[in-house]
Amino acid sequence: MSKKVIVACGGAVATSTVAANKIVELCKKNGIDMELCQCRISEIASNLPADLIVTTSKVKRDFGVPLITGMPFISGVGQAKTEAAILKVLREE
Amino acid sequence: MTAFLNGCYFVINYIIDMGASVMLPIIISILAIIIGVKPGKAIRSGLMIGVGFVGMSLIVDMMNDNMGPAAQAMAERMGVSLSIVEVGWPGMSGVTWGSIIATIAIPLSIAINLVMFGLKLTKTINIDIWNVWHIAFTGAIAYAVTGNLFIGLLGVAVHSIFTFKFGDLWAPLLADYFELDGLTTPHGTSAYMAPVACLVDAIIDHIPGLKKVNLSVEGLQEKIGVLGEPVVIGFILGTIIGFLAGYGPQEALPLGIKMAAVMVLMPKVIKCIMDGLLPISERAKELMHNHFGEDSDFYIGLDPAVLLGDPEVVTAGILFIPITLAIAIVMPGNRILPFGDLATIGFFIAIAVAVHKGNLFRTLISGTCIMTMTIWIANQTVEWTTKLGTSVGAIEEGATLAAMDQGGCPITYVFVQLFTRENILGLIVIAAIYIVCLFFAVMHSKARAAELAAAEDEF
Repeated sequence: MSKKVIVACGGAVATSTVAANKIVELCKKNGIDMELCQCRISEIASNLPADLIVTTSKVKRDFGVPLITGMPFISGVGQAKTEAAILKVLREE
Repeated sequence: MTAFLNGCYFVINYIIDMGASVMLPIIISILAIIIGVKPGKAIRSGLMIGVGFVGMSLIVDMMNDNMGPAAQAMAERMGVSLSIVEVGWPGMSGVTWGSIIATIAIPLSIAINLVMFGLKLTKTINIDIWNVWHIAFTGAIAYAVTGNLFIGLLGVAVHSIFTFKFGDLWAPLLADYFELDGLTTPHGTSAYMAPVACLVDAIIDHIPGLKKVNLSVEGLQEKIGVLGEPVVIGFILGTIIGFLAGYGPQEALPLGIKMAAVMVLMPKVIKCIMDGLLPISERAKELMHNHFGEDSDFYIGLDPAVLLGDPEVVTAGILFIPITLAIAIVMPGNRILPFGDLATIGFFIAIAVAVHKGNLFRTLISGTCIMTMTIWIANQTVEWTTKLGTSVGAIEEGATLAAMDQGGCPITYVFVQLFTRENILGLIVIAAIYIVCLFFAVMHSKARAAELAAAEDEF
């Protein structure tokens, strides 16, 4: 079954596009079937359910879904660790 | 030689005359190929930018065609002056990318950044190419208004210097409040408006009663649910304006839906421009990282979007939707009806929240000052932004273009006003206020850096 990933940032224009592209590539490389939903942070709740939420800023609200900060995709620092964390969530059944 | 230069001039003008939707793809493709992107990917990037620009023009035109007459009718009926619907940063960034200045601003701002870093004038290394549009805006407006390319480039240089210095100023606050060590957000509205918050904070610190006041609104976003979503804000605002314009439900409701469409579709088309810029911005990021390595002492300059998830920023962002509208209605002679920026007011106040360490009461006060100053300046830049919009072919002749984000920037305003001198009094007053704010910003940043160092020593 394909996994739904919500990628959100403030305006759904700049940083979420960077993170979304990286996550799509990552999933392709690892053979994970995923469905992408790019939106603003204020729109996350309306786009649930999902298997994973990645936000480019630190979001403290609990959506009942694993939430990973995708800031490393923007800064380039610690990207491998974030990628591993994302893969771990998406590979779980 | 002269013949060659004339030839170049002819070719460049020929391309510029075809409009931004053609010029941008060509320039971006060439730029991408030069920095080592594969030709196929480079051409795709260029085309995506062209697509984003065309999409943006379609939406801005639709907004002006529908919302424009309604806002004017409302203004006449209600006896208010709000007749220009602002497009917000998504529209204004798109228009700015349409200017030739924006493309030059990418390498120019990188060069200025490297020189300043080399001379130890800044610790900020900006890897955020998208937000170079903020830097480019000052130059693009100056160029559109004066017609002088040199003044345009000077505007880019001046705004670049401010930007990197803001990066240094806000880094201690980001480390302290947002826990973003080694990062900074030099660009954008919250960086250039936060000095206002520093002044407000210093004043409140000296008022005995107010000093201790704090407010708390827990989980406002959860409580208001979909009401905080752009699609709902657009619909409600559009419908209300329709009714206030004297429309019946049959006209007001479709206006509401169209404005909801603007809110939802605008980021989707502007995203195409970002998509097209990605190969260039990724390559620039790589270059910067390789150049500076991991251990040297610097702050990485990122998009302010990284600040917009903070609960206090989210809460204040929601509260400022009605507050901003109220300011716009109350301000005498104001022509700007806030719209496009309403869904992302966090971009105006995010660093102010960090200045006040999350104290919502203070954020409400400084944010009110920030939005007032923004709308005040944006009123004076309407003619300039309209000129920019027409010159890049983003809006039709006779239409107007305004935005609070960047349109209300004191740096842009003062810089361009220095050359046009249309409003000397405005120039002096705004420059004076801003310089005082900047002074307090430097003091505030130093104090916070000292606090941070002291806290680290304790461990």
